[in-house]
Amino acid sequence: MNGFMFGKMRQSGKISKNFILILMLLLILVSVFFMSVGLGSVEIAWHDVLSILVRETVTEILDIFVGSDAMPEVLKTIVGSDVISEVYRSIVLNIRLPRALATIVGGASLAVAGLLLQVFFRNAIVEPFVLGVSSGSTLFVGLILLSGANLGLSYISPAYLFFGAFLGAAAVMLLSVAIAHKVRNVITLLVVGLMIGYIASAATTVLVTFARQEQVRMFVLWTMGSFSGVVWEHVIILIVIAAIALMASFFMSKPLNAFLLGEEYAKSMGVSIKLFRISIIIISSVLSGIVTAIAGPVAFIGLAVPHIARMIFATSDNRVLIPASVLIGAALTGLCDLVARLVLAPAEVPISAVTSFVGAPIVIFLLLKKRNLL
Amino acid sequence: MIALKTEKLAVGYGRKKIVDCIDFEVGKGQIVCLLGPNGSGKTTILKTIAGLLSPVTGSVFIEGRNINIFDKTVFSRKVGVVLTEKIMPGLMTVFDVVSLGRYPHTGFLGVLKKEDVDAINEAISLVQAENIAKRYFHELSDGERQKTLIARALAQEPDILVLDEPIGHLDVHHRIEVLTILKKLSKNKHITIIMSLHEVDLAIKISDLVVLLNNGKLAAVGSPEDIIDKNTIKSLYGIKHGDYNHILGSTEILPHIFMPQIFVLAGSGMGAPIYRMLAKCGFSISTGVLHQNDIDYCIADSIGAETICERPFELIGEEAFLTAKEKMLLSKHIIDSGYPIGRMNRLNGDLTAEALKLGRSVLSMRSHEESVKLFGQSTDRIEYFDSVVQLVSRLNRQI
Repeated sequence: MNGFMFGKMRQSGKISKNFILILMLLLILVSVFFMSVGLGSVEIAWHDVLSILVRETVTEILDIFVGSDAMPEVLKTIVGSDVISEVYRSIVLNIRLPRALATIVGGASLAVAGLLLQVFFRNAIVEPFVLGVSSGSTLFVGLILLSGANLGLSYISPAYLFFGAFLGAAAVMLLSVAIAHKVRNVITLLVVGLMIGYIASAATTVLVTFARQEQVRMFVLWTMGSFSGVVWEHVIILIVIAAIALMASFFMSKPLNAFLLGEEYAKSMGVSIKLFRISIIIISSVLSGIVTAIAGPVAFIGLAVPHIARMIFATSDNRVLIPASVLIGAALTGLCDLVARLVLAPAEVPISAVTSFVGAPIVIFLLLKKRNLL
Repeated sequence: MIALKTEKLAVGYGRKKIVDCIDFEVGKGQIVCLLGPNGSGKTTILKTIAGLLSPVTGSVFIEGRNINIFDKTVFSRKVGVVLTEKIMPGLMTVFDVVSLGRYPHTGFLGVLKKEDVDAINEAISLVQAENIAKRYFHELSDGERQKTLIARALAQEPDILVLDEPIGHLDVHHRIEVLTILKKLSKNKHITIIMSLHEVDLAIKISDLVVLLNNGKLAAVGSPEDIIDKNTIKSLYGIKHGDYNHILGSTEILPHIFMPQIFVLAGSGMGAPIYRMLAKCGFSISTGVLHQNDIDYCIADSIGAETICERPFELIGEEAFLTAKEKMLLSKHIIDSGYPIGRMNRLNGDLTAEALKLGRSVLSMRSHEESVKLFGQSTDRIEYFDSVVQLVSRLNRQI
């Protein structure tokens, strides 16, 4: 009934219960991670996958601490032979591993972004993209893919798309911050966010109308979201930015909890409303913008995961819900990506299709079961 | 010691003034009530005092310091609020909600230390909410929620408590409970309480100071005993279709008359329920003879009945008797409310006897035996009723 810090003195039993739940989620996440790396359209034996991962890790560690990647014979016998084919090595290390990490970190980011905005807007059906972040990204990506703003390049590199999507998200975020300075009511901000989204979508529609067929196909695939083809450079950027933003979210959990009583009560307890608003908008936009830049708009994770976390932990204490959303968001997105890759392999289903199939029923179920959603 | 003072304060939203020229001061541990009609700016004043709105002009001082120069955290240890906005805190128990009040006292992540838990438990016990501490907030009744919100404000350990209509939609039991809690806080813990109330009768009983608001200004400030009488209340709220009796604290609705006149013989409070029910059904009422110190007189007067009266503690005189007789005979029906007859009002009994003698029938709430004893043999034209409802439905049936 309580978070592990609400009523700490009183409820040590509660702490261990939450601790066990977190541990279980961690276990699930680890197994999802290994499945993501181990399964795919190319069958690679489990011991080979593990061997590749361990070898690589050991090599990296040696590289850092010893300054040489020559592995002593003793270690070689422990981690297994190096006769595994270079193709398998490449599939695991350059395709599956970055993708697994991207889905896990991306899912965690979306879930926390959704949680922050649900508390901020005091609204249970808010998701990370309500402020127009994804529409901004989509518009900028549309500009690149559809309008020929591709700097005369015939091949559009993922780095260029990544950069464009992030720029779009940032532009909308800055606009929201500027508006948040002006308006008194958060609901106004919500409506303005929706309107920005509509304008960006309208502009995108115009672009689509005048684009060539094959361009449109590429663009539509991007808008459906996918983690396929992520590269290490982007994954590193994602991990670094997401780690910072997720830490920042956790540090916001005290004012977030005060906000559960509404803006006026929060203010009466000494929360600096302006600073809080701007921080929430920036953190949530960065979290959802960075994921959109890598994978396109991924639906439902940000909406459904905070509700799942509330149901599992039976609390609204954000000091519990933030770590919980990180773990559940990561595991669920990893799992959904796995399904997206495997269900029609070697073809891929867009991840948003899978997350919606999973997420929508959960939200409906929760709506029917519990009236008190936040 | 002055806990709170306003100086040439104007409150409102943005630059728009809603109430201007607010000047009053409140001593430590006093209870202040803001009274005034809907839209008179009570909430705006309270929110300004609580630091939720900036003053349009003028200043608010707490313990001699302008609230503008307070640090946010320091200020929130001085002033706690209970607002009318409904809150939906989600999956939180009463203890959790109250613990949020520790915000200005806890560290970076809001981890509760022992003194915080003690303060929370004390706040919960001050509002007598120990029995609901472990329940979810959203499962509570309105009264329990209000107690929780007061406890939350108390957990801030404020010197001043600002409450906007704290007993708004509570039942009688919770109204009394909440006001008793506030009274205790002011007397035992010396917490200054500033609140808005719509219940004028209760405001008079609980407050040390009342602030009357009307038409964007303070209409009056002072102790309720000094400034509240029948006319201040009627003009404050612009009451036209009813009456407020400040002594009884009762509100009466003037009848919308479309039924014939009924004469009620009353006294000692036996008439009040009959007047109220007749007024509700739209009958025109005349009544008498009542002494001016009789409770029936107050109600009859408030309800707008035609009242024939006599000065307090005097025998009913000839003049009053004759006027009453005339009114009685003009009425469509005569009701004997079963009032006690003594030396002072013996002539009222004679009125009944007179009516019976003249062949009128009387609807009576008295017992048969008592009527025979009082009015002698001509009691066959008396109809007897056990309850006001039976009596009035008999009237309705006939008409």
